[in-house]
Amino acid sequence: MRWCAANPCLPTALTLGTTLLLSAQAAATPIPHGTLELVAETQWIAPGHELYLGLHFQLEKGWHIYWVNPGDSGEPPRVRWQLPEGLTPGAMEWPRPRRLEASSIVNFGYDDGVLLLMPVQTSAGLAAERPVRVGAEVKVLVCREICIPGNAQLSLTLLVKSRPSERDARTRDLFAAARKSLPRHAPAHWRFSVNDAKDSFVLTANLGHHTTQAIFFPFTESEIDNAAPQKLLPLAAGFRLTLRKSDQLLKPIERLKGVLVLSPDQAYLIDAPVGKPVAARNNYGIGIHPAQSFQEGQ
Amino acid sequence: MKRSTLYLMLLALVTFTAPLLISAAKVGETARDFTAAASNGKTVRLSDYRGKFVVLEWHNNGCPYVRKHYNSGNMQQLQKQWAARGIVWFTIISSAPGKQGYVTASEENDYLAKMQAAPTAALLDPTGEIGHLYDAKTSPQMVVINPQGVVIYDGAIDDRPTTDLSDIPGATNYVNRALEQAMATKPVETPATRPYGCSVKY
Repeated sequence: MRWCAANPCLPTALTLGTTLLLSAQAAATPIPHGTLELVAETQWIAPGHELYLGLHFQLEKGWHIYWVNPGDSGEPPRVRWQLPEGLTPGAMEWPRPRRLEASSIVNFGYDDGVLLLMPVQTSAGLAAERPVRVGAEVKVLVCREICIPGNAQLSLTLLVKSRPSERDARTRDLFAAARKSLPRHAPAHWRFSVNDAKDSFVLTANLGHHTTQAIFFPFTESEIDNAAPQKLLPLAAGFRLTLRKSDQLLKPIERLKGVLVLSPDQAYLIDAPVGKPVAARNNYGIGIHPAQSFQEGQ
Repeated sequence: MKRSTLYLMLLALVTFTAPLLISAAKVGETARDFTAAASNGKTVRLSDYRGKFVVLEWHNNGCPYVRKHYNSGNMQQLQKQWAARGIVWFTIISSAPGKQGYVTASEENDYLAKMQAAPTAALLDPTGEIGHLYDAKTSPQMVVINPQGVVIYDGAIDDRPTTDLSDIPGATNYVNRALEQAMATKPVETPATRPYGCSVKY
């Protein structure tokens, strides 16, 4: 391939090859304003080894789908897995979401597209050299300003082989990119504490370094006011983030759980105990409840 | 501390916190009053309905979540069931002109007739003023106000945040629950939930 010394040549040849190979596979299924495809990370199933499947959503510009906690409106994709005996689905792994702001509301989701990962346990007793058909029925809400519900029935046939499985070159980059954006466990030396401060939760993070950017995504709905700005105070060894409580939060919570995003490739799982409520105080030192000061009819 | 100093501090506190409080109608507080043009040509003032339970229903006829409750007949059935018990029901359309769900008065009247909907009135809120007064985030979002004018429920219509018609029969309807409990002079068990649906198209 001497004539291919120029940089774009190799990718072009690869892209062409990939397109040809993919066309032999199950094609992506249309969903409103996008496509959805069931993909596998490996070329075949190795009995007794974990298998990773993925739901690859690709959306037209401007359209989005939702994270596990969708925020102020919308709903996450719902999947019913159809797996043969010997294959057991695990818990879906969701890449970190983005804040999607629209008028007075904020949603948590994915624009452009996303790969949702599904680990599958495979039985050691799976018969080798036999094809296995895996399926998924997906209900998804696709939104821009308006929302359109979609359904897709997906399937994929994989062969079972009694030797370690190899990565599928067609999906390698896709899975690698998705894994980069999966929330990870926080390093052991990081410390988080959460104070219940009447109208807000104050998350203090000690990461050992000055931090100027952080966004928190709660796993549970109705804990924080999604649309309220998250006020960040950089500290010498971390930061302090003030999260306004949701109006729908009626009972104290014991733990604040969610995903903390420091940069696009730095997302961490957080599960921090919430400290006892601080005595209701204000800057004036007067123990007055704001609701009592409200004058009717304003 | 001198009494006058305390008074000044209180005044400062009220001044600083009041604008924040106006921005959202919260459960347990007095419902914000409003005047609106109804699709039937009348003008509706919320405070004229003191003494009755009032339901506010945020509506957008293009939203799949709203369609779930209208195409199944669920919303109309709720409107009729509660009207029979003397409850006032306002459907509120806060979509801005040009946005999904925006309707003129005659379009809304045609829709009400076609769907056999039976709210007390459908209120047109193209400026979004009422929507913002109640911090309405989604359609449908439901608010229940008691005869004393206090918000006793704010949130979702039920506990199944989907667009599936098949989810209606097994759902717990929060509006029914709130009204039944309040009419039996019991405390409302679930006074606030996350509303589900499409964003309000302000």
